[in-house]
Parts: sequence; structure tokens; C-alpha cells
Amino acid sequence: MTDQSVVLQDVRQGMIPAHIYNDKEIFDLEKERLFSRSWLFVAHESEVPETGDYVVRRVLEDSFIISRDEMGEIRALFNMCLHRGMQVCRAEMGNASHFRCPYHGWSYRNDGRIVGLPFHQEAFGGEEGFRKKGQTLLPAPSLGIYNGLIFISMDPDAQPLEDFLGDFKFYLDYYTKQSTDGIELRGPQRWRIKANWKIGAENFAGDMYHTPQTHTSVVEIGLFREPKAEKRKDGTTYWAGNGGGTTYKLPEGSLEDRLRYVGYPDDMIERMKEQWSQQQLDVIGKDGFMISAASLFPNMSFVHNWPRVEEDSDEVLPFISIRQWQPISENETEVLSWFAVDKNASEEYKALSYKAYLMCFGSGGMFEQDDVENWVSLTNTAAGSMARRLLLNGRMGLLENGGNVVEPLTPEQYSGPGSTRVGYSEYNQRELLLRWADHLERPARAAAQLHVGVDPVSAAPAACATETAPHTAAAVPAMMSQEA
Amino acid sequence: MTATKVNGMTLSEQSVLGAHAPRTQRTGHSLPFNDELHLEAHRWLVDEAYLLDAQDYDEWLARIADDVHYLMPVRVTTALGAGYSTSPGMAHLDENKYSLSRRVARFATEHAWTEDPPSRLRHYVTNVRTFRTDKADEIVAESAVLLFRSRGDVGEAATVSAGREDLLRRTGTGWELARRTIMLDESVIRMQNLAIFL
Repeated sequence: MTDQSVVLQDVRQGMIPAHIYNDKEIFDLEKERLFSRSWLFVAHESEVPETGDYVVRRVLEDSFIISRDEMGEIRALFNMCLHRGMQVCRAEMGNASHFRCPYHGWSYRNDGRIVGLPFHQEAFGGEEGFRKKGQTLLPAPSLGIYNGLIFISMDPDAQPLEDFLGDFKFYLDYYTKQSTDGIELRGPQRWRIKANWKIGAENFAGDMYHTPQTHTSVVEIGLFREPKAEKRKDGTTYWAGNGGGTTYKLPEGSLEDRLRYVGYPDDMIERMKEQWSQQQLDVIGKDGFMISAASLFPNMSFVHNWPRVEEDSDEVLPFISIRQWQPISENETEVLSWFAVDKNASEEYKALSYKAYLMCFGSGGMFEQDDVENWVSLTNTAAGSMARRLLLNGRMGLLENGGNVVEPLTPEQYSGPGSTRVGYSEYNQRELLLRWADHLERPARAAAQLHVGVDPVSAAPAACATETAPHTAAAVPAMMSQEA
Repeated sequence: MTATKVNGMTLSEQSVLGAHAPRTQRTGHSLPFNDELHLEAHRWLVDEAYLLDAQDYDEWLARIADDVHYLMPVRVTTALGAGYSTSPGMAHLDENKYSLSRRVARFATEHAWTEDPPSRLRHYVTNVRTFRTDKADEIVAESAVLLFRSRGDVGEAATVSAGREDLLRRTGTGWELARRTIMLDESVIRMQNLAIFL
């Protein structure tokens, strides 16, 4: 494999070798060193509200069943039969107490435990040939949940999810915890774009600069109330923990005035006041900023915006969308885009917020349409030899000597955590790519292999306990004894 | 599939934003292919395909009823017998006349980059059949549509295959589209966006 140290060195200076947006070797390295260990969003608890509900999601080529088992626990089970490797679940959503492999009929409960193994005695000689007891579909090496957002990591030793999120949790709450019951997710819409996955993540993280140009049309047709899209430069970018995003500057007024300005009804405002910390409320009420787009490293993004969705009305309506930029190859990404809304909002609000989402973002969204056109074009152009010579200038906000064009806001000016600046810059894109470079530089450890049912290599058959990874054991705690 | 009902309800009835939609349903068998109503419906669909290929969206919008419901559910892969194959509460498009008009208006600005340069579009419409309803001036037309979309020079073209069920209504000036349910044949769309109409 080519030594990429010069590429990473350039990236750390904010100079981006253009080919990183369409380079198979770079993508292979991302698979080996980034997606093999970073926390990755797969689903939200509200997508599997009832016992037995499941959705199937991928991490690169790996398919996982995200299920709610009979005890109400969330599971992430590798969707591969322990026997011959067939997918045990070929639907993408549904409700099931068991998953039965269509190949030889092995079956598993929705917590992963094997329950049916046809002709266990006759074919395998029973437990002496295949230790069925305690066997489960392989659980995701690590699983973590915050505000109902389910993340998995392929690294069994991943740092705790909440440590990884860090101060970004402060901002995640605006999107996913507007009341005590949090959000419900609908979707996702899924579509594939011929663009590199990093471009969308960078754009949502901090690219306020593109709005006036790329999204002129949605202002012109009256979808977006702000008379001029340049209004973006009065907002801020922030970076906190492993994520960052953008805000809009709000007009003068109280907390309530400002939440009403973006379209929140009074009942939702009351719940936000109960739910959010004083600092979270102060970012809006005292400092006058409202969160908009954001990204969590490496490939999860958020949008919060407030378009005008009804004829003959100046009223705006906020919507929230969550998305994942699922890498397919160096030049293709599957976008998964969900609509999110506070569970306790009125049905009328939920419907209009959904309408706002459909008009603006997602597969048919009018903002999104022009974004993707740019990203596909960029990815195409990044494939050639000239792109290997060009270092894109991603240093916006930095002077040549490393000084800042604009200094961060002080604690007196801004109540939230992290580093926050007013105006256009590319600090957040650089923060994402710095983390990306750190991963790509650090060799991956080989993952431990699991011998299922028997371990003829390292132990005498009569004596060995089935080799089970620590997390496998932890994932099926309570009910093992019942089975035995 | 477009006529599929879940729990006795049509997809338009189940959709989040379809409360305003006309509810007229088909009756009886499909009409003979030489039936005057079938011929009119078929002609309307072919004329529409040419308008959409040419991106003559103002003219297209003029043929859309004021109470239209234009629905494209998100298809999902579910087990046989699950009883549904669309994502509950989510669609790609769940439109009324106003939201369609905004989409059309956007294409008319000079800043709809995704269609500048414009795509080369070809809507193939086939398998057309027509049904009477219990209203003299409304008919249901079903059709299969395949859209070929080419952008730029050598970039791979995208195709979308779908079935449609339309409610067409006769007015003083001709037929209008009053309801359309578009059943995509893929759960993951292989097209960069839906800056097109089916």
C-alpha cells in the first residue's frame, strides 16, 4: 500500500490533496483504519418501538439486525448464520420473535440466541460435536445508545460512546431531546449518489459559505423566509467533542420570541424550557443563535431549518433530519435520510414539519438537489492525475502565518461548549479531516476470530468452553441460564 | 401493486399529507382498449410523458388539479406476509399543488444547478389500463413508467422503474391529474436526486 504520510501531512495543514475524494487506496485505508473502529450510527430506538421489532442496517459490507428482544433490550446482531453464513434476515424491517436461516433451518431468537439446530444429535453428535448452548449470532463488537440513537463500533475496545460524543452531546440534545421523551424517527429515504462520503459530512459540519450560492433558488421561490441567503455569515460555526455544526443569528427578543421566530409552538417551547439546561437555553435566548446543520465524526449529519411551507402564509415551520453518509466505494455513497420530530409534538405540527422536511431535504428535497449535483461533479473531477497535483485550499479562517481571521467567541459572548466563531470559515471541516488523518495514520489491530460451536485447534474437545468474546457473553446475560 | 391496500386503506389514505386528496376508486374490470375513455386516458399519459421529457413543467402543472395528491412512498423490503411494502409515515414525495408548484418554480430560476445543464430525459410509459369509477367524469388509469435520465457526457445514466395509479378528472378544458400514487420498484433509488417527475 502506498505511504500516505505526505497526504496526511498536507491535510493537517488544511491543504487537501483533491484525490482523497476519489481514490481507491485511500478508501481501502478508511475501511481498514477508520470504519473498523469509529462509532457509527445505525438506527434510533423509535424505529424498533415494540418487542420483536427490527431493522437491518449495514456498516460497509456488514449487515446487522438491530432488534428489540423479548426483554426490551436493543441488540445489534451480525446477520450471518453461524453454520454456512447465509443471511438469517433478508427483510429490512419487520417484527419477529425468531430469525430462521432459509438454508438449513437454524433458527435464532431476536436476542441472537440459537434455538433451533435441525438434527443436532444425528448430524453433529449433539453438544459433543457442536456446543449449541450459549451460542448467539455475533453481536456488534460494541454498542452504545445516547438519546435513543443507536451506535455500533467494530472495535470491541471502543471508548465509551458518551466519552466519544463528549461536548457534542450538548448540541445533540437540540436535535434529539426537545422533551423528556425525545424524538421519533421516520424513514429512512435511501438513495445512492456518485460522490465520496466525506464531502457531505464536511458540508454539513461547517459549510455556511455555500448557502448563498448553492441555495439561491430556494430563497427565490419563497421557500426560505430570510430575504437573502447571505444571512448565513452572521451565524456561527462550533466544534465540540467529536462533532460540530453551524447556527443562524436570531433577531433580538426573548428566548420564547426567538423559538417562536423559527416556528416552534408554545407547547413545544415550554417542554424545551423544562428539558434543556440553562446553558442550552442561553445559546438561544441570551446569545441569539439557533442550531442548523451539523456533523458527528465520521459520517453522521443533522439538519434543522425552518422553511415556509404553506401558500399565502408567512409562517415558518422547523424540521429536523438525521442522516448517514454510508460509504459504498471511493466514489459512491448511500444516503440514509430520516425525518425526526419530537414525540410529544402535536400531530398537526408533526405533519407540517414532515412537509417542511420533504420540501427541503432528503431524496426529493429542494435544498439537497443542488448540493448533490456539486458533490458528484467534485468526485468525478477528483479521479484524475491533475487532482493529484492540486492541493485544495481548505484553510478558510486561517491566515498564512496560522493566525485567525476571526477569534473564537468568549464565554461572555457564548454559553455553549467547544470553540465557536462568527462567520464563514472551514475550522469544522478541518476538525473532521484531522480526525480522519489520525485514524488513517494509526495501524489497525487484527480482530480476534471466533470459533463457533467447537474449537478443534486450541483445546481438547472435552475440556474447552466455547470460545466467546467478552462482549458476546455480556450481550446475552440474563437468559442464558434459563436456556441451560 | 399500486392498488394495494393495507388494513383496508389505500396508500394515499395512509399518507401523512393526503388528507385533502380525492378518494374516488376504480370499479369493475379494465376497459377494452378501444373504449373511448381508455383512448383518452392513454393519450393523456403519452402527452404528459412528452411534456416531462421536455421539462415543460408550466404546461404540465396546468394539467394538474388544484386538489391533487402526488405521492411517491418509500419502498421497503419486508417478509412475505408482512402486509406492507412501504415505509410507514415516510415518502419520497407527498405533494399537493402548492408544493409541486414550488418545485416547478425552482426549475424556472436561474439557480437550480442540478438541472443546469438540463438532464436528457425519456419517460417510457406502457402497460396502460383504465377503469371507470362511480363518478362519470373521473377514471383511474394504471401504467408502468421507466425513466431514463442522462446528465453530462460520459457519466452513467440513471433509470427509475415504477408503477403508477392515477385518478384523472374531466374538466371543461380536458383531463386533469387529481391523484397519483407512484410505486417505485427499488427501495434504494439509484439516482442522485428526484429533481424529476414520474
